[in-house]
Amino acid sequence: MEEREGLFVPEFLAKNSLSRREFVKSALIGSGTLAFGGFLVKAEEKQGTGGEKPRYSLVIVDYNKCTGCRTCEAVCSQANERVIIDGEELLGLGNPAEARVKVVSYNFPPVDVPNRCLECPDAPCIEACPVSPDPNTGRKALYRDEKTLAIKNDPERCIGCGNCARACEQKRVGIIKQDKKTGRPTTLCTLCEGDPQCVRYCPYDALTHFTGDGRHFALSPDKIAKRLAELWYYSGNREVGR
Amino acid sequence: MKGYYGVILEVDLTQGKVEKKELPEEDALKFVGGRGLGTKIVWDHLKKPYIDPLSPENPLIFAAGPFSGYPFPSASRVTVVTKSPMTSPVKPPAKTASTIGYSNMGGFFGPAIRFAGYDAIVITGRASSPVYLVIDGDKVDIRDAGRIWSKKASELEELLPLELKGEGFETCYIGPAGENLVRYAAIIHTVGRAAGRAGVGCVMGSKRLKAIAVRGKKLPPVANHKEYLKILEELRKKFASSPSTARWRRYGTAYALLSSSDRGTQAVKNYREGTFLEIDRIGGVAAEEELWVRDTACYACPLGCKKIGVVRTGRYAGTIAEGPEYETGTMLGANLLVSNLDGLMREIADVDDYGLDQISTGNVIGFLMEAYDKGLIDKAFLDGIDLRWGDVEAVLSMIKKIAYREGVGDIAADGLNPLVEKIGEKTAEFAIQVKGHPLAAWNVHTRLTQGLCYATANRGACHLNGHSARSQDFNAFIDSTGICRFASGIYSREGISKALSAITGEAWTIEDCRKTGERIFNLEKCFNYREGFRREDDEIPERFFTEPLTIGPRKGAVIKRDQFKELLDKYYRERGWDVKTTKPSPAKLRALGLDFIIKGLGD
Repeated sequence: MEEREGLFVPEFLAKNSLSRREFVKSALIGSGTLAFGGFLVKAEEKQGTGGEKPRYSLVIVDYNKCTGCRTCEAVCSQANERVIIDGEELLGLGNPAEARVKVVSYNFPPVDVPNRCLECPDAPCIEACPVSPDPNTGRKALYRDEKTLAIKNDPERCIGCGNCARACEQKRVGIIKQDKKTGRPTTLCTLCEGDPQCVRYCPYDALTHFTGDGRHFALSPDKIAKRLAELWYYSGNREVGR
Repeated sequence: MKGYYGVILEVDLTQGKVEKKELPEEDALKFVGGRGLGTKIVWDHLKKPYIDPLSPENPLIFAAGPFSGYPFPSASRVTVVTKSPMTSPVKPPAKTASTIGYSNMGGFFGPAIRFAGYDAIVITGRASSPVYLVIDGDKVDIRDAGRIWSKKASELEELLPLELKGEGFETCYIGPAGENLVRYAAIIHTVGRAAGRAGVGCVMGSKRLKAIAVRGKKLPPVANHKEYLKILEELRKKFASSPSTARWRRYGTAYALLSSSDRGTQAVKNYREGTFLEIDRIGGVAAEEELWVRDTACYACPLGCKKIGVVRTGRYAGTIAEGPEYETGTMLGANLLVSNLDGLMREIADVDDYGLDQISTGNVIGFLMEAYDKGLIDKAFLDGIDLRWGDVEAVLSMIKKIAYREGVGDIAADGLNPLVEKIGEKTAEFAIQVKGHPLAAWNVHTRLTQGLCYATANRGACHLNGHSARSQDFNAFIDSTGICRFASGIYSREGISKALSAITGEAWTIEDCRKTGERIFNLEKCFNYREGFRREDDEIPERFFTEPLTIGPRKGAVIKRDQFKELLDKYYRERGWDVKTTKPSPAKLRALGLDFIIKGLGD
């Protein structure tokens, strides 16, 4: 697990009043290291100088606002598991079993951690993919989509080896699962072609679509939960939380 | 019919037998799900009256609704239905005569039942030694509960994941109170959610069933998918812009702690008063300032009414609990004159942890406090507890004694009527119950219809019953869909009927919904009538007629007996029930499609 102890400085967690825009801004231009969404983002100095293409894009979580209602799972499933009815492609029923995002809930003390693909800039999953890069596109079976910056799998080329799932499990948040029949990765976040529906429909505005540059360190839901529990329930700090 | 699996999982714990039974389409149509379908299943199982609610024959039903599992806002409720172990008629034809019992619970358990592929789970029998049930989709397993028996809710949340060794299970369980057959034991889910009322946890304990874990990956198709999507979209927008959404999010039900006290409608000092002078110390504003860390919500619910709080300093530092809500804050706070917010949180946490019903526990302790205050019982009776009004430590000791049936707790665990029998008949006037079921946190002095609500509720005193026949019918219907009462107003009656039509493909009108609710209410009533409940059982405690409020803005308020009698007469006539006996008329039952219950109802 790539993380640095002592860097988890959850400053924004105390700032409930920030609007989404201010929140992203403060996370980026604030000095030093800020934590959000299970991430540690080190704001790079070049942020704000403009001109450079963003390197990654992902959905980040404000844990102060997340209530664990799992609406994100339902809308993710609706958007990504569409159905054809009378020849027309429609949003799906919203079965959370088919969602790419998975809220990991700890009931006592109560903590909810929406886990999802973090679209890691260094993508250990892509690194682990054994399929040779396509000479024309440079893509392995697992690759980063240039437009959305989402990590995608090419089912035509995927051999179903499960290396990506294992890399995610060992090195990052363990969100990638293998399809039982095909062995292919099933729970990659598509970022809904640039308009993540979980962000759009979260009733609590707990999710934000962030595109930018920087570095991040992924934490497993267990570790995030432990830290949130410590912060909220055991730190004695009255300034945290809602 | 679409929107259902048509499958009920039936588990017989005596024989260790698991069966998938067909849910008759007619039952789904006529009784919908939840409270309605659960009652129909109880009726089908108990073919005669007076069956001991704690016997293996009594079925314990977890019924989801047709909305359950779909991402409709605030539609996560599951209703637990069984024959109540808490109630009895004034003139019992048999010792084991009791009402129907139903209790509903939010969270994720109802949706999980549906994800596993079932519309309801029926538990019958009694295991020879403690067990827990694991329902992993089609795979159902009855396992030895040796390692988790005797554990409290907070401990179970650590132990159950280790037992289950898998992701995504939703669990519910009983605490020590259910194991010890405390009559008002609850079934707990996620520590802070509960099917608390009607003694459902006691029935679960009698089956030696410690916990149920459920998960699955299914969801039944709906009839009109396009319409379903349209309604979902509309509802999500409606909830996002509703002013009541903002109110639920800010304070949950705790907003009512102050407003109810200000209106003289709160249960204070064992229902002697309607206003608590120190309410601002334990109300929503204080709790928000002092305790609350985060909000949590049930499945796909935008209201987020649950407030998780932590006590950071002092004697109760480290206490983590959900609350105070209106019911918990009133019953364990105002009703006991407890104004110590930290202590109140400890009480709430303990009651959940032991698996007791918050409402009944607060009511029973309020009764004991009054008896002690009046010198009708002494310290020796209370095993040395100095049970004075407002004393948190005394309340905590009492809670524990009840959960473990220690000393005085052994009688208190059986409820108000056994306490009256033990202490003396003159305590009956302040035993605040109807049919043996303790009243909830709304007081009666200021409102005649609140009295009707409690008096005519089929599970015994119930604050969620409704203040008129019409509202009772709609409420019974809503409780059968899976929709939360806090949200039903935002849906609107039309919205609910349209959504149910899209799910099932049947054309539901608002009148169909009301009539279905009336059918369900009458089925419950007939169950009770067969057990011997009559008009004299629809009586509310003497206090509300004879002891006017002495403080607060409604000082002097009391309800009038003749007006109450008149209101009830009118109510029975409107229902088509006999005014003297409350027996539903055969014509009414026929009109509701309840022909099958006319025979064998008794006189």
